[in-house]
Amino acid sequence: MADSPMMSSYVYAIMLLLPLSAAMVILQRNPYQALVMRGILGAIAALVYAMLGGADVALTEALVGTMLAITLYVVAVRSSLVMRLGVLEGEGAKKNLQWQPMLDYLRALLKRYQLRLELVPYADDQALYQALAAKEVHGICLMDRTGQTAEEVAPRILVRVRRLADIFATELPGAIAEAKLYRDDQLDPLPLSSALTEEHL
Amino acid sequence: MVNILSYGCIVLGLVFWFWGTWPLLGRRSVLYKLHGLSVADTLGSMTIVVGLLLRIPQEWPLLVLALISLAIWNTVLGYVLAYCVTDDGGQEVSHGG
Amino acid sequence: MTLVLIAMIGALLIPMIEALQDEDIWQRMLAFASIATKTSVMILVIAVLQDDWMIGVVGVLILSVGNAALMLLAHIIKRLSDVMD
Repeated sequence: MADSPMMSSYVYAIMLLLPLSAAMVILQRNPYQALVMRGILGAIAALVYAMLGGADVALTEALVGTMLAITLYVVAVRSSLVMRLGVLEGEGAKKNLQWQPMLDYLRALLKRYQLRLELVPYADDQALYQALAAKEVHGICLMDRTGQTAEEVAPRILVRVRRLADIFATELPGAIAEAKLYRDDQLDPLPLSSALTEEHL
Repeated sequence: MVNILSYGCIVLGLVFWFWGTWPLLGRRSVLYKLHGLSVADTLGSMTIVVGLLLRIPQEWPLLVLALISLAIWNTVLGYVLAYCVTDDGGQEVSHGG
Repeated sequence: MTLVLIAMIGALLIPMIEALQDEDIWQRMLAFASIATKTSVMILVIAVLQDDWMIGVVGVLILSVGNAALMLLAHIIKRLSDVMD
């Protein structure tokens, strides 16, 4: 062991990389970026374990800690950090002048909460209400205003998640879209809206 | 003699590593960096492994396996990353699921 | 040989700094790919340095399997950005 101090110097240098990469994981806000950082941490941790002689630990870290954990986490994050918004399919919704600005605003708003917006098209208003009641979507976007200027007024968004409703109530201007919380005991919107759609057709 | 040759290979691999990794810090496009990385990184790693192979020829199956997996995986990974970065033409809305 | 290893640590620091400073997720994926390859080659060098056959086997295994996670992650991130834009 003539080169013992030299040997320990590179051991310490490699071990210092571990807290550095761990800090990089912690400081990320976006979950996907944090997962990439977790991969870097796993690679460096495997290096440290192998260097210190724990070959089995290094192999487990690489296979389970990095590969399996990242795959499972990315699937979990992808399926949970999403707001599914039921919309009308076809051209009916897109004729509204507020449609594209509302989508852009919603995306930007949800992005700040690390959520993404997923649009789920449905045939008519009744299907939208059924999907909301069956908890297929987190919210629905309605275009059921009547009158001459129906294509210029803001769309109406019904959400069934209270936290989303709170966010929308404070941060979504009424000029872009009007958001309301939907509860199961509000039974009356269903027949009213179906009557309105028939009127439109 | 073999020792010098092995050191030469390893140092050459290190030069390749730095040469391929240095553009990562710049403000170039992802594809430019990916090109440099996949060429220089793979070549550098393979040169280093060849240098190691010259030092311990008795463990050649292991290091040859490392060479093969480096060559195949890094090429495939380069292709996959390039495919994932470039193909952003689809604007479609995901339909459930 | 330890000098070689220290130079490798220096080469490993470059993609880490890149991952730290760049906000684009694809640049970070590139840094991750670079780090994954570099760490497994470093494990091989350490195996030769310490003359430990077992660490060498682990290094080759990590080298050949570790990239699979990277590809899965790349595909999922790609589909994600398709939906978002």
